[in-house]
This record gives sequence, C-alpha cells and structure tokens, in this order.
Amino acid sequence: MTNTPAPTTSAVEHGTSSAASRLSRALAAGRARPWLPLLAAGAVVVIVYPFLASTYLLQIGFQILLYVAIGEAWNLIAGYGGMVSLGSAAFIGTGAYTLAELTGHGFPLVAAVVAGGAIAAVFAAAISPAMFRLRGVYFSVATLALAEALLLLISTISTFGGTTGLLLRSAVPSYLGLYWWGLGCAALSTAIVVWLLRSRLSLALRAIRDDQDVAQEMGVHAFRTKLVAFVLASFIMGAAGALQSLNTAYVEPSGSFSLQWTIDIVTVVIIGGMATRVGPWIGAVFTVVLVQVLASYPDIHDAITGVILILVIRFAPRGIWGTAVTTSARIRARGARGE
Amino acid sequence: MHAVSNPPGSPPRRGALLDVAGVTKRFGAVAAIDGVDLSVPFGEIHGVIGPNGAGKTTLIGLISGAHRLDGGRIVLDGRDITGLDAASRARLGIGRTHQVPRTFPQLTVLENLLLAQHNGARVRSRHRAMATSREILARTGLADAAGRQTRDLPLLSRKRLELARALALEPRILLLDEIGAGLSEPEVEELITLVASLRSQVDGILLVEHVLDVVTAACDNVTVLELGRVLVRGTPAQVLSDAAVAAAYMGTTAAAGEPQAARTPGVPPSQAAAENSVARAERPPVLIVDEVSAHYGGVRALRSVSVEVRQGEVVALLGANGAGKTTLANVVTGIVRADTGSIIAHGVDVTRFPPHEISALGVAHCMEGRRIFGDLSVEENLKVPAAVGRRTVQERLERVYDLFPELAELRRRPGTALSGGQQQMLAIGRALMSDPSLILFDEISLGLAPVVIQRIYESLARLRSSGTAMLLIEQNVERALGLADYVYVLSRGSLALSGHPAAVQQGPELRGLYLGAGGPDPSPSVR
Amino acid sequence: MYLPTATATEQALLQGFLLGGLYALTALGLSLVLGVLRIINLAHGEFLILGAFLGYYWLQRTGVDPLLGLVVVAPVVAGVGFVVQRWALSPLVRHGDEPALLTTFSLSIIGQNLFIILFTADSRLINRSYGFRALRIGAVSVPEIYLISFAAALVIFGAVHLLMQHSAFGRQVRASAEDPVAAAVVGVRVRRVHALTFALAAGCAAIGGVLAGIAFSFDATTGTSYLLTGFAVVVLGGLGSVAGTLGGGIVLGVVESVGAAVFGDGYLDFIGLMVFLVILALRPQGIFGWARR
Repeated sequence: MTNTPAPTTSAVEHGTSSAASRLSRALAAGRARPWLPLLAAGAVVVIVYPFLASTYLLQIGFQILLYVAIGEAWNLIAGYGGMVSLGSAAFIGTGAYTLAELTGHGFPLVAAVVAGGAIAAVFAAAISPAMFRLRGVYFSVATLALAEALLLLISTISTFGGTTGLLLRSAVPSYLGLYWWGLGCAALSTAIVVWLLRSRLSLALRAIRDDQDVAQEMGVHAFRTKLVAFVLASFIMGAAGALQSLNTAYVEPSGSFSLQWTIDIVTVVIIGGMATRVGPWIGAVFTVVLVQVLASYPDIHDAITGVILILVIRFAPRGIWGTAVTTSARIRARGARGE
Repeated sequence: MHAVSNPPGSPPRRGALLDVAGVTKRFGAVAAIDGVDLSVPFGEIHGVIGPNGAGKTTLIGLISGAHRLDGGRIVLDGRDITGLDAASRARLGIGRTHQVPRTFPQLTVLENLLLAQHNGARVRSRHRAMATSREILARTGLADAAGRQTRDLPLLSRKRLELARALALEPRILLLDEIGAGLSEPEVEELITLVASLRSQVDGILLVEHVLDVVTAACDNVTVLELGRVLVRGTPAQVLSDAAVAAAYMGTTAAAGEPQAARTPGVPPSQAAAENSVARAERPPVLIVDEVSAHYGGVRALRSVSVEVRQGEVVALLGANGAGKTTLANVVTGIVRADTGSIIAHGVDVTRFPPHEISALGVAHCMEGRRIFGDLSVEENLKVPAAVGRRTVQERLERVYDLFPELAELRRRPGTALSGGQQQMLAIGRALMSDPSLILFDEISLGLAPVVIQRIYESLARLRSSGTAMLLIEQNVERALGLADYVYVLSRGSLALSGHPAAVQQGPELRGLYLGAGGPDPSPSVR
Repeated sequence: MYLPTATATEQALLQGFLLGGLYALTALGLSLVLGVLRIINLAHGEFLILGAFLGYYWLQRTGVDPLLGLVVVAPVVAGVGFVVQRWALSPLVRHGDEPALLTTFSLSIIGQNLFIILFTADSRLINRSYGFRALRIGAVSVPEIYLISFAAALVIFGAVHLLMQHSAFGRQVRASAEDPVAAAVVGVRVRRVHALTFALAAGCAAIGGVLAGIAFSFDATTGTSYLLTGFAVVVLGGLGSVAGTLGGGIVLGVVESVGAAVFGDGYLDFIGLMVFLVILALRPQGIFGWARR
C-alpha cells in the first residue's frame, strides 16, 4: 500500500486528544491506515443491521453478503491473478448439491457447508492441470464450457434428481440465522483474501498476472501458485453455494449451476473495482440495489446491467472503488505539488 | 553474496562458473544460435557483442531458461542445467535483466525485489527479506523509489530496478542484456560504475551490449557473435581493433577497416553528388522531418531529430543499433506516434495520419524484417496494396516482375517458401505497387549474403534512376554510402552527423559512432 | 448404455455427418472473428439466435420460406454486427484481451435480455415441413433439414473460401489477420476490414441460426449453447482455419451422434462439451490445425 506523505507541522501541533496525537504521530511515521475508521463504521453497520431490518431486508442483506463472499474469491483469481473464470457456477452448484445431499443424510449444517467448500476445492484441484495449460481467453471459454457441462450432466443423470433437483430434508436456519451465516462467509472470504494478499503467494500471483515468463525467471513456480489461489477461491464459492441452497431450501440445475451466477459476479467485481479488496463489497451493494431499483422492470434488468458493464469497462475500468482511489491519489498529489 | 578472492597470480578455481558448449537454437528454419561455445570463469565480467541479428539476446534467453535448446549443453559450476526450467535455474543462481525492462507494471519497486527474495534458493524470513531488499535498493540508488509503482519510473530507474531485482535473487551469475540501450551519455557513465561495483557481489557476469563504451570500460574478455556464430574472442582492445569485427559491424570489405563506398555498377561516384550540393537546395523536398521526438518501448528513442529528403534523391540514414533509425521510419509512416515535432510529406502535414493514409500519399515503407505476408502467394502479396483498377495493377505488376524476374517465376508460391533474399525483393516489389514517390528502406541487407545484397542494390540503383526518392536505413555503411546523395547519422536518438557521403566517409567520427570511443584512432587518409 | 445395431450405427454416422455441416455453419462466424480479429466473440450465439428469431417472424409475417428470407435476414444481422464492432469493440483494441472478452460477454447478456423483451422467453420452432420429414436412404433415414443444412454449409463455406482466396477483400482480410501493422503500412484500412469481417461473421451466424431454428427449437437463451458448440468446432478444427472448421463440425457431429446412440439422446450436448474440453486440454491447436504464432 502506498505510504501517506508526512503531515505539515501544523497538523502535529494541533493534535489535542491523545488518540489524535497518536494518530498524527503514526501518520508521520508513515504506518497509519487511514481507512481504519471507515472499516470500523462499516463493521458497526453490518452487525447492527439485522436487528433493525425486516425479513425482506434480511434477505437482501444475505444476498449482498453472499455476493461479497463470491466476489472476493473471484476477484482473487481474476483481478489479482488474471485468470478470468466464467465458470464460477460450477463450484457454486457443486457446493449447493453437496450440502443438499449431506444434510439429507443427517450431517450437521456446519459440516455440510464446509464439505460443500471442500468438494468444490477438490474438483478445482482435479481440473487445474488441464485448465492451467490454457491462458487468457481460452482459459475463460474453457471454464464456461465446464460450467455448462456440469449443468447438463447434473440435469441428465437421475442420481441428483435430474432437472427437478433435490429438496432439502433437514431444517434450515431462519432468515436471521442465514444472515449471520452470510456475514460469517463474507467476513471469512474477505479475511482469506486479505491474508493471502499480504503473503508471498499474492506477490507471486500478481507477478504472474503481470508477466508470467519473467515471474518464472525470478524463481516463481507458476502452476503451484495459481493452483493454491484457484483452490482457495473454489472452496469459498462452494461454501457460498452451500449457503444459497439453505436459502432456497432446494437445489436444481438451472438455478444452482446457472450462468446468472457468473453474470452477477462479473458485475459485482467489475463495477466495484477489480483487484481491490473493498471493490466486491461496493459492487455487491450496487448490484443488489440495482435489482431492487429495477424491480418494476424486471425484464430489462440484465440488459441494463450489460450496458453498464460495457460503459464501465470502457470508461472506468477500475470500477467505483478503484476510480475513487486513483482520483483521490491524484488530488492529493496535485495538492502536494500546488503548495 | 559471494566475495571473490582470486588475486592475479593465484591458481585458478575449479572449472568455469558458466560453460556454454555447442548450443544451437532454431526458430523455424533459421538458426538464431548455431554451435556457440562460451565460457565465463569465476570472477570475470565477460562481454558478448555483435551486430544486429547476431543472436545475443537469444543466447541470454537460452542460459536463463526462457528458450529450450535445440542442441548443446549449459553447465553452471559443474552442474548440467540444460534440462531445467527457468524457475529452477533462477533458484540455482542465474539472474538476468532484460533488454527492454520488464518490471511488473503493477508491483512497486520494493515488491519486485521481495518477489526475487522470496522465490530464490533459500527460504527467508519476512524480516530478513525486507532488510536485504532495502539494502540492495540503497546500493543501486533506488532507496527513494521503494514504494513507487514501476510503471511510473523513468527508464534509467527501471534498468537499475532490473539489476537490483536480479541481485535480490542472490545469484551466482548475472546475465545483463543490453543494459546501456536507450540511455544518454551521463546515464551510461553511471551504469558503468554500477556494473563495475557488482564484481564483488557475484561470481561472474555475462554482459550483452551494443553500447561499446560499456564493454570497453567494464569487461575483462569479450566474445563477438555474428549471425549466430562466434566470430572472435579476446580482450576488448583486441576485439575492437580487429578488422573482421569492424567488417561485421559496418559491412566493410576493406582490410584496413575504413568504410569505403561500395561500387554499385551504373551509379556515378558519390563525389559527383557532392558537387551537386547547390542543386540539392533547389529541389523540392518530398519529406521533411522537423524536430521530431518519440518514445518506443518505454525508451526515448528520438530526440528532436530533423531530416529532409529531396525529390529524386537517395538519403542514407546511418547509425549504430539502437540509435533510433527504425523508430524514425516508423514515425514517418505513422506506425509510431511522434511526441513532438512534425512530419511533412509532399507538403502535407501527416504527423497524426494513420499508416494507410500516408501510404495513399505516395510514401511506401519497406519495414525492418521484411514483414511480407507468409500466408499469401507472391502475386497476392503484390496485389494487396494496389487499390486501383485491374489494368493499372497489371501494369505495375509487370514493372515489378521486370525489376525482379525471380519473383515472376515464384508468383504462385506462398511467402513462406521464399528465401531471405527473395522475401526482400518481394517486400520491395510490394512497396512499389502503390506507385510511391518516396520509399523508406529499413535494413534491407540484414542477414543476406553479399551476392544477394549486390543484386538488390542494383535494383535500387535502377529505381533511383527512374526518379524515386529513397530514405535508406542501413547498418551496412559501405553499401549505403555508395548509393546515397546525402547522409544523416543518428546516435542514441539524436542527429550526430550529416553531409555529403564523401565528407562523412572521410571524417573520423563515423567509425567512432559505430565502434565507440574505445576503438583505435583511425589514421586520417584522403580517398 | 447399450451397443447399437449396425443399422442404428450407420444411421447415427450419417446423421452425425450431415448434422456436422450445420454445426460447422454455426461455427464459421466464430472462426472468422477469431482468426482475423483475434478475439473470441462471446456474443456469437446471440447473432445466431437473432437470425433464428428474424427467420421465425419473417415466415409468420410474409409466409415466404425463411430460406428465401435469408436474403433479407442475413444482411440485417450483418449490419448489426458491423455497428457492434465499430462502436463497442474497435475502441478496445489497445486495451488487451480481457476488456474485449468481457465486453462481448456483456453484449451477450444484453442480447439475451433484449430477446426476452422483444420475443418473450417462449420456446420457438420455425415450422417447415422439411423440418419434420425424413428421407429414406436405403435402410437409414435422415431428416431432410439435415441434408439441406449440409448442402447450405457446403455452399456457404465454398463462397467464403472463394471470397477469401480470390478477391481483393479476401486478400486484405488475410493480410490483416497475419500482420495488421504491415497491412496498414501498405495501405489496407485495417479497421474497416475488421468491421466488415465481423459483419460477415454475423451474417454467416444468422444463416446458421435460421437453419438451426428449423431443425431444433430455440429460445432467447439458446445462444450460449450454440456458442459453446461453435467453440468446440473451432477448437477441433484448428483455430482460425476456415477449412478446418468444416472438418471440425463434421467430427463433432459424428462423435455426438454416435455417443448419443450409445449413451442415450439426453447426453448429446454433454458429450459435445466433454469432447471439447478434452481436446482443449490435450491439443489446444485442434485436430486439423497447426499452432499459430
């Protein structure tokens, strides 16, 4: 992260309370995190929300949190890793069906959710040797084909209920309970991504994204690096899929493995800001809000989303948060020069 | 980091640090590197030089693992690394820099080094990696830029960064690829100092260079490559005064190494052209390049260059590799955008025109590397440019086949089936199909046998007598001077010399611009 | 899963072979765009379905056979393609592969949504007698529409081949595909060539769409399925090779058909996708193709 410039003497002099002076000293040392108050405020909102919200708003909240979780995961591999997957539905659906099957056999919820993530992760690990041989757009189309193939397979074989799907036979949590599940998943997803981004792995991942050949000349093992990121992201998507099945109380191919998942995630991350940690949160809120705003016109919702996407890709490729960060940095730089 | 203690007179250490034995690399049918042997003893800075197309960067790529060998072996301190991939070689201690710095645009300077630290041979703690990285940054003069994203850095800083990053691998051998390219004189000085200081930090350095001042100042021994093979070996002084080396660089055939004008039959000696200097100013210009500056590949390739081509004349544009000649041609025909200055062709300001519009104005460009359409047949290649009626196309085709009967025989063959010389003829023919009044030729003699070059220059002479103006970019000084009416010489992006061929050829500056100040003083002689 | 009889196998092979012609036709546009513009048009299926819908409504409004109606439908869709390329894709040329991919993805979303709005989400079929009738050839029977599609594929592929190999435009296209910079330098207006190629691809997609719409039912979202089929054909046949696309289509048709005979009809699409994924993993340059650049 970029270091903040040293403050002018006046700021140091005027620090009144001990917290403020500590903050300004930290700023001077260049180690402060200016976004800490923002994070605190956000955390308060997210925790207080369910106590104030109606059932309907709780559902909205759950949806947003689920999108955050999946968005952070997709952002990890696509934004930071450069692997634009259009087949997220494959892992989400896998998680959903895993939970449906396992709860039917009496597994406790927690185990089923984790298992949903785990099975998706195993699946990801199994296909990666083949998938990683492809780069760029070929990788993307292959993931698309994978998701479609899985959808067709599950629809056709009767073991998992064919096109009708499966009804969840165990008790599902209340809306409030689901919200907390969602929050946990979103928080965990963000935490994993943030932790990963501070690790050596993320450096290698970003280097691979920028220039895989030179990264290898620096000793980076590209396959291993991509594998870890891909498997982790798939785990999160599987867990989120499992939660979604709790939400709907049933699973069926056209819903669990739907292309709509990919459309929504791409929207969330691109509009929010690719390769930023905050992006998916903003994008998720934006996307869900957009659905509500266009609730009277459900028909054109996707079309409008598509148009917005095209405009964002062309004119604001860093998304809302990315553009905000760049603009504020530019303003700060201009201010520093202007003095 | 290994400090080398090997004072002169002490017995040599076991074997060499790096042994390259009989390596070969082919790209398609062309052998970029053909049976090259090279050895870097412990503690040595070894230079690799050679004209354009000699295979120097390919050699670095073969050692670093970017390319697979087609033959031969590479041994690092007794260990055969031929079968290892790039990542493994990096972990064994091979660090390299790139000709055009590739410094991960979205990572910061510090992150570049941390990456190398974390993925090198030894597992390091966060703390130690950070400390070592900062220390290397201080040593290479990048301490202030630690937190900056690399895409914001100027070229010299990115070159330092490439070096720092390679050092962060804690390598045993450093492979430096054209580290001096694109830098100004004082920047080159700084870099030489930096490279010399590296001697104590690694076991050996292999240095590929165009800027021969760096080679003379920093290298213990030098290998000269030409067309993928080793031409000669020795100390810098020995090698740079070698006639064969001068010939390779400047295309000279004379044993004494002074560039002479090659006699192309049918062309009057250039002295006659010198007498027409008054007449030159009276002829209308077909091309005016006015104070043009441009970037290419992140490098400042042209600095306020001004050049003119008059109607019906042949202008030669000379200069060592990396001087900016190709960039200038690309700017003129719209492939690269000029930062400042203007281009005026036939009185029209074409500075911002796209290539196809400039072509329509009668300016043709025979690009470096020929760039013919391999998938198309010879005749199809010739027909692509002509946007005119069928009869005109036929007429022009006939003219081209008349100039190059070889092409008429090959008219149905695909471009890929042609030899280098035939491809060059095709490229020239293709340029002629748009009936241009000005043709830019970029390095048409590259990689061709002398017989073929002779043939091509004969056809150029015919073109000249038909009144076509030409801008001739050539590394082969001899040939260019033999045909030209006027000469410009570029050095590191700026105009260094201009004048009539006879004057330029007799002056001492020309050789210095190609072979660096380290070459011996040429004896002044009158021809 | 069961072992089919000899007759059933013959039938599967013949039907698959002919169906392969239709598959090849639906993939031709994708192959052209990939070979020349070097982008994967994720909205390809939507151009196809647009053709199908227009063919459907043409029949409804005019009563004239939609195959004749192609004279109108194909140019209309080609025009849409031209506009799309010129205004949405061309500006992104400098920015790399990702933005173009995501933009065509967005276009696909928009397209499918527009279809739902304009034409509803109902499943449709272009109702022609030859879409149902089968022709008996000895012991086997093939749907007439398969024969017609195969013939159409031969005609269209032949026409495109002639265009590419023997016209000035074709020369410009091939030159631009190989080396756009060199082409521009010799006077080719590369941006216009790209737009026209995209339009041609859209037109071919529309033709394939009308034929597919007669043979099979479709709805607003069927485009994705045809995109993936098309991509499978392109990969099988060798990326960017027009002749290879025809071969790839036939191979896919045969494999799918035989696989369906063995595993059951429901697995038709799935087998196609699996073949595609396996080929992509093992030999990205396709069965017929060679690695390009």
